[in-house]
Amino acid sequence: MKAKIVNKGQLSGLLDKLAKDYDLVAPVKEETITLFKKISSAQDAFLDYTNSDVSPKGCFLPQSEKIFSYTYTGDSLEIVKPESAKKTVLFGARPCDIKAITTLDPVFEGEKFGDEFYSSKRENTVIIGLSCSKVLSTCFCYAFGGGPCDGTGSDLLFTEIGDKYYVEINTDKGQALVDANSQFFSSESTDQLAKDKEELAKKLAGEFVKKVDLTGVKELLDSDFELAYWDEDPYKKCIGCGTCTYVCPTCHCFDIFDFTTGDITGDRIRCWDSCMYPEYTLMAGGHNPRPTRKERIRNRFMHKLKYHLDRYNMVGCVGCGRCIRKCPVNIDITKIINDLKEVAQNA
Amino acid sequence: MPNPTALTPYPVTITKIVDETSDVKTFTVEFDDPEVMDNFGNKPGQVCMLSVFGEGESTISITSSPTRGKFLEFTVKRVGRLTEVLHQMEVGQKFGVRGPYGNWFPYEAMKGKDLFFVGGGFALAPIRSLIDFALSDQYRSDYGKVEVLYGARSVDDMCFKGDLAERWPKLHNTGIYTTIDRPQDDWKGHVGFVPNYVEEVAPSPKNKVAIIAGPPIMIKFTLPVFAKLGFKDEQIITTLEMRMKCCLGKCGRCNIGSKFVCVDGPVFSQAELKGMPKEY
Repeated sequence: MKAKIVNKGQLSGLLDKLAKDYDLVAPVKEETITLFKKISSAQDAFLDYTNSDVSPKGCFLPQSEKIFSYTYTGDSLEIVKPESAKKTVLFGARPCDIKAITTLDPVFEGEKFGDEFYSSKRENTVIIGLSCSKVLSTCFCYAFGGGPCDGTGSDLLFTEIGDKYYVEINTDKGQALVDANSQFFSSESTDQLAKDKEELAKKLAGEFVKKVDLTGVKELLDSDFELAYWDEDPYKKCIGCGTCTYVCPTCHCFDIFDFTTGDITGDRIRCWDSCMYPEYTLMAGGHNPRPTRKERIRNRFMHKLKYHLDRYNMVGCVGCGRCIRKCPVNIDITKIINDLKEVAQNA
Repeated sequence: MPNPTALTPYPVTITKIVDETSDVKTFTVEFDDPEVMDNFGNKPGQVCMLSVFGEGESTISITSSPTRGKFLEFTVKRVGRLTEVLHQMEVGQKFGVRGPYGNWFPYEAMKGKDLFFVGGGFALAPIRSLIDFALSDQYRSDYGKVEVLYGARSVDDMCFKGDLAERWPKLHNTGIYTTIDRPQDDWKGHVGFVPNYVEEVAPSPKNKVAIIAGPPIMIKFTLPVFAKLGFKDEQIITTLEMRMKCCLGKCGRCNIGSKFVCVDGPVFSQAELKGMPKEY
């Protein structure tokens, strides 16, 4: 694997250059919230974070997005589509969030229909990952094959080691970015840093607090849709706020609606939606196939642990732990997984 | 092939509106760009997203068979905001259509067989495309007897009266049975619920496929009748309805287990449904 080094002193120069050449999206801190936003200079980036409050999935599936504008009088109709995506660099995304993007890919790029909005952003974006230097008590990426220093899905992966970043070049796209900005990349030997990175990965792997055992869980969910478990915890605790779905980096549900901007003009918008809301599946005629929180909670966890796997051969969870951190009533997916494992063992 | 314009509708113009009942209308539309129709390739049982600008989109089944001409028909019940606006539209006005989406009735596998259709109320709409497909000059010889058993609450609630009373009975080798729930002075035909009428007509399962669409309560009581008559689960086909936003298998909400009704359905055999969670 090819690798380079960026000395810490060079980083702001690199980011400023990237902000000039691309739309540069990086973690920023707004009041108490860490989220990903377009920045215009290196000093706006906030890299001293462990796991952002909002994931960078909005880079590819924005919270709200215009599909087209229309002018409609009843007798005439004109549709104007938005400009296609700009060249973008997503900098500083954590490995779990990058893995999450790879679980969204088959949804938007696979099967029968593509998604021009997602794909054009995906094609025009270079993803620069940033290895974790700490593990949070809610993290469990290891359970799904990820890791704090895992470069899967990234074009470049930066790992902070002392006063340097060890930079792994994972794709041609990443190489092209390095070549175009070679003045910021040192050509000194990377051998020692490669070893240091492995050491770091090993050290962090031992720091996970959440113990997750998936043994028998998929088989249990395959065999029984009507498990008694869904009648108990956790649905009785859930207040249906939908926070878990908004902070989840792999949730991709969206709504489409028209936003009128004048008497005869408007925008068709798509925006994030949540399977935790009753309206999500409510039909115009009044029938609702998932009428209570029990069905909705079951659907959410079945989606993460079974449906996504059935459909795309990828687990629908990356272990980022946001839903655990943000849930106001302490619903914990790792507890659910471990509970289901118990149910499977006692069956 | 991914369709790059998948979320953008094509403009259509309404060429005809039929008032089926007080709250059901059938809209005939033509694409403003005739090439769209030439390449549309809709098959019986598929659906479209209808765009009513200012209200959004709604999934509506294509009521017409592709064999009937270069137009689409949509039969729409007035139940919500979007359909309310659609019902106020007039001939000559425009809305948007994208599609076709979903799977279709297995009309290839049905070749050489008799077809027995059961429709309740307004839900004849999604199976009417296959009825007309099988009765078309082009494909008539591929299928045996085509029977349609249709029930509505009252005479006023009957949809597709022209098809049921005039057009279909005159065609070769058809059987049309209509019923209403309760007696009415101006009705000389059969009175009674659909499941009971199916039992009376007693179609033989021999070399036959049953295609059923109707309100859930009708389907619930009709399925055991077909089982009693000896129909196997593979011989019973139905079409499902779910809330949908994208119709492309991405927006998430129309799933039944791991299947998305918009791309894996809406047409399922009873055998397939038995292997899926009862969450529809």
